[in-house]
Amino acid sequence: MARLLKLVLIAALCLTATLALAQDTPAEVTADQVNAVAEKLYCPVCENIPLDTCGTAACADWRNEIKLQLEAGMTPDEVITDFVRRFGDRVVGIPQDPALNALTMVTVVAVIGAALLGGVYFLLRNRRPRQPEPAIPAPAEGAAPASNAYYDLLRQDVEG
Amino acid sequence: MIAETGFFLLLFSFAAAVYSALASLVGARRAHGEKLIVSGRNAAYLTTALVTASLGMLLAGLLRQDYQIAYVWSVTNPDMNAFYRLTALWGSQAGSLLFWSFLMSLFAAISIAFAWRRFHALVPYAITVMMVTVAFFVGLSVFLENPFERWWLAGGTGDVMRSVLMPAGAFAPDSLNLQGSAQGLNPMLRHWAMAIHPPLLYLGFVGFIIPFAYAVGALASGNLSTDWIKATRRFTLVAWMFLSLGLLLGGRWAYDVLGWGGYWGWDPVENAAFLPWLAGTALLHSTTIQEKRGMLKTWNLSLVVLTFSAVIFGTFATRSGLVESVHSFARSEIGFPMFVFWFGLTLVAVLLIIWRRGRGELRAEHEFQGLLSRESLFVLNNVVFVALFIAVFWGSFGAPILSELVMNTNITLGADYFMRVTPPLFAALYILMGVAPLSGWGVTSLRRLGRAALIPLVLTLASLGLFALAGMSTALSYVAYFVVLLAGWVAIVETARGIAARRRAHKENVVTSAWQLFGRNPRRYGGYMIHLGMTVIGIGVIGSTLFQVETQRTLQPGQTLELGGYTMRYDGLLANQVAEDGRLMDIAQVAVLRDGRELANLRPRRDFYPQSEGTNSMTIAGSHSTLENDFYVLLVNWEPINANQATFKVYINPLINWIWTGGLILIAGTFLAAYPKDVVSERARQSVALAKPGQLARKGA
Repeated sequence: MARLLKLVLIAALCLTATLALAQDTPAEVTADQVNAVAEKLYCPVCENIPLDTCGTAACADWRNEIKLQLEAGMTPDEVITDFVRRFGDRVVGIPQDPALNALTMVTVVAVIGAALLGGVYFLLRNRRPRQPEPAIPAPAEGAAPASNAYYDLLRQDVEG
Repeated sequence: MIAETGFFLLLFSFAAAVYSALASLVGARRAHGEKLIVSGRNAAYLTTALVTASLGMLLAGLLRQDYQIAYVWSVTNPDMNAFYRLTALWGSQAGSLLFWSFLMSLFAAISIAFAWRRFHALVPYAITVMMVTVAFFVGLSVFLENPFERWWLAGGTGDVMRSVLMPAGAFAPDSLNLQGSAQGLNPMLRHWAMAIHPPLLYLGFVGFIIPFAYAVGALASGNLSTDWIKATRRFTLVAWMFLSLGLLLGGRWAYDVLGWGGYWGWDPVENAAFLPWLAGTALLHSTTIQEKRGMLKTWNLSLVVLTFSAVIFGTFATRSGLVESVHSFARSEIGFPMFVFWFGLTLVAVLLIIWRRGRGELRAEHEFQGLLSRESLFVLNNVVFVALFIAVFWGSFGAPILSELVMNTNITLGADYFMRVTPPLFAALYILMGVAPLSGWGVTSLRRLGRAALIPLVLTLASLGLFALAGMSTALSYVAYFVVLLAGWVAIVETARGIAARRRAHKENVVTSAWQLFGRNPRRYGGYMIHLGMTVIGIGVIGSTLFQVETQRTLQPGQTLELGGYTMRYDGLLANQVAEDGRLMDIAQVAVLRDGRELANLRPRRDFYPQSEGTNSMTIAGSHSTLENDFYVLLVNWEPINANQATFKVYINPLINWIWTGGLILIAGTFLAAYPKDVVSERARQSVALAKPGQLARKGA
C-alpha cells in the first residue's frame, strides 16, 4: 500500500511538473499571427512602409520581436501599444495619443461635415421657390417624352 | 558636344518662354498690341521646338551611352538595353524635369494652335500663364537640376567636379573608367509599367495647365462666358484620362514590383497624384452645369485653380523631399523655388477670382430648381469630391506637417486612416453616379426618378443574388456592391434604352444604332462608358480589399500549403542565376493546383543588382491570374532560403484583374467622350437615311 502511495505521489509530482513546464513553454506563434500585428505597424526607420512588408534587416528584427512578445503572452494590442511607447505615434496608421488622434480624426470629420453641410446649404439657398411640377412622364418603355430639356436632347440623339 | 548643345538649347528656350510670356501679356493689355501677341505666340512655338531639341540631345546622350554626362552615368550602365536607356530619361530628377517641360510646352503649343482663331481674346493671357510655367520648369533645369552637367577632374588635385562647360584647368575623365562605374537605373524602375506610368502621369499633370491657363485668361480678359470651357474641355478630358491611366499603371507597377500583394498603399506620393484626379473629375462634371445652365461660374474657376494647384503642390511634395516614399525623388534644392511658385500661382488666380466676383461678373444665370435636379446632384457630386480631396490631403500632408510643426511629433497616417475616412465618401460618389444620369436638368420629382431607376435597381438586386449564390456573406460587401453595381447598371440601361429607341425609329441593327447614337452624343455615351469602367474598377477594388486572404509558410521541396481552395507545391530553387543585365536571381519553382489539377508553374524570385546603390534588391511575385482572382506568390526576402527550404508569402486577391479591365473601358469611354461630335455627326448623317419625323415620339427615349 505504502509502495502504491509512493508511486501515486511520484506520478502526481511528475504530472504537476509536466503541467508547470507546459505552462512555461511558449505557445507556437505562426508567421501569419506575426504579420497580422506587423501590418498594423509602420517601419520606425523607413517612411510609410508597413512593418509586414518592409525588407530591411531592422524590420526583420522587429518582426521577430513581435513574435517573441506574442509567445510571451502579450495580446496584439499590447504589442502595438508597446511599439508606440518606444517609437512614437508614427509607427501606427492612426495616432494613439488623444491629442494627436483628435487632431487627425476629429479635424477631418469636422471639415468634411462642414463641406457637405455647406454644399446642401448652397443648394437650398440658391433654390428657386417651389413651383407646380410640369406633367412630364418618366422615360418608361413606350411612353412619349414630353417637353423636358433632357428628353429633348435625348430625342435629338435618337432621331439622328 | 551633346551636353553643350543640349544646355544652350535649354537656355535659349528659357529666354524664348520668358519673352513669349511678356510679349503676350503686354500685347493683350495694349490697344493695338496684335503684333506683340503674334510675336508672343511665335516665341511659344519656338520654346516648344527648343525644349524638344534639348530633350533630343539628352536622349541621344542616353542612347549613345555618353557617360561623360553625369545624368547618363547616374541612370544607365552598359548592361542596360536600349529600352531601359530610353526610359532612364525620367529615371531621376534632372531628366524627368526636362521631360516635364517638354510635355508642358507641347501641350501649350497644341492648345495655342487650336484656340488661336476661335478664342483669340483668351489666348494671349493663356500663353502668358503657360509660358511662365514652362519658363519656371526650364529654369529649374538650367539653374538647379541641369541634366547636361559633365564630369570633370581638376588639374593637379584630381578632384571630381560637375559642370556643363569645362572649368579652368580641368580635364575630362577617362570614358572607360566612367563606363565601369556607371550606376544604372534604379532597379525598381526596370519594369514595363514604369516605361509608361511616368509619361502618362506627367501627361495628366501637365495637361491640366490648359484649363488653368485659359481660366486665368478668362479672368484677366473679362471674357467670362463659357469660352474658356469650350476651348479646354477636350484637353481637360484627355489630361484626366492620362492621369487616370497613370494612376492605374502605377498601381499595376506596385502590384508587380513592390512585393506586398497590393496596388494602392495610400502612400503620400500616390496620394499627391490622386488629388488632382479628384479635383479634375469634379471639374469635368461641374463645367457641364455652366455650359448647360450658366451656373457655378465661381465654383468652376475655383475648381480649375484647385486642380492645377494640386498638380504643382504634388510635384513640389514629391520632388522637394517634403515626403519620403518609394516614389519620391531625392531631396534637392528645387523645394523652396517650387513652393514659392506654387504659392504665387495659386494666390494670383484666387485674387483674380475674388476680384471678378466682387465686381458681380460671376453671377449665375439660373437657380437650382430642386434637390433632385441633375444640376443639384452634380453639385453634391462636386461636394463629395472636394470632401475626398480634403480627406486625402489632410491624411497625406495636412496632419503630418501640422503635428510636426505644432506638436513636434512625427505621425504617419496610413491605410487605417484612409480606410476609415474615405469609404463612405466613395459610396456617396457611386450613389450619385447611379442617380444623376436618371435625373433631368431642371425639375425632377422623386417619383419620376424612382420609375427611371426601377430596371437598374432590379438588375442590381439580381446581380447581388448571383453574388449570394457564389457564397458572398458579409453585409458590408452587399452594401458596397449594391452602390457600385447600381451605377454600372444605370449606365448600361440608359445606353440600352437609347439604342432600343433608335432601333425602333430607324429599323437599324444593334451595332448601327449604337454607332449612330454614340455619334450623335459622344459626350453622354462616353460618360456612361466611363461610369461603367469605374463600376468595373469598383468591383475589383471591393473584391480585392474585402476578400483578400494571405498566409506565410516555410516549405521544403515537395511540401505544399493550402489557401482559398488552391494548393501550392514547392518544387525547388534555382539559386544565383545570372540574367543578361548582370543581376543575380534566386528563383523558386512552385506549382499551383486546384482540385488536384495543376494550373500553373510559377517562378517567384529575388533579384539582386550588385552595381546599384541604394535599393539593390527586388522581390518579384509570381502570379496565376484569372478574372476570378490572382494566386500571388512572393519569395519572402528577409527569410533565409537555400536548397532545403524557402519562405513564401501567398495571397489570393479576388477580382483584382477587374481593376485593369475597368481601366481599359475607362480609356475607351474617354476617347468616345472626347471625340469631336461634329465629325461623328457628319459621318452619321452621311451613312444613315433620316427617319420619318415623329417616329421616336411613339417609342420613348
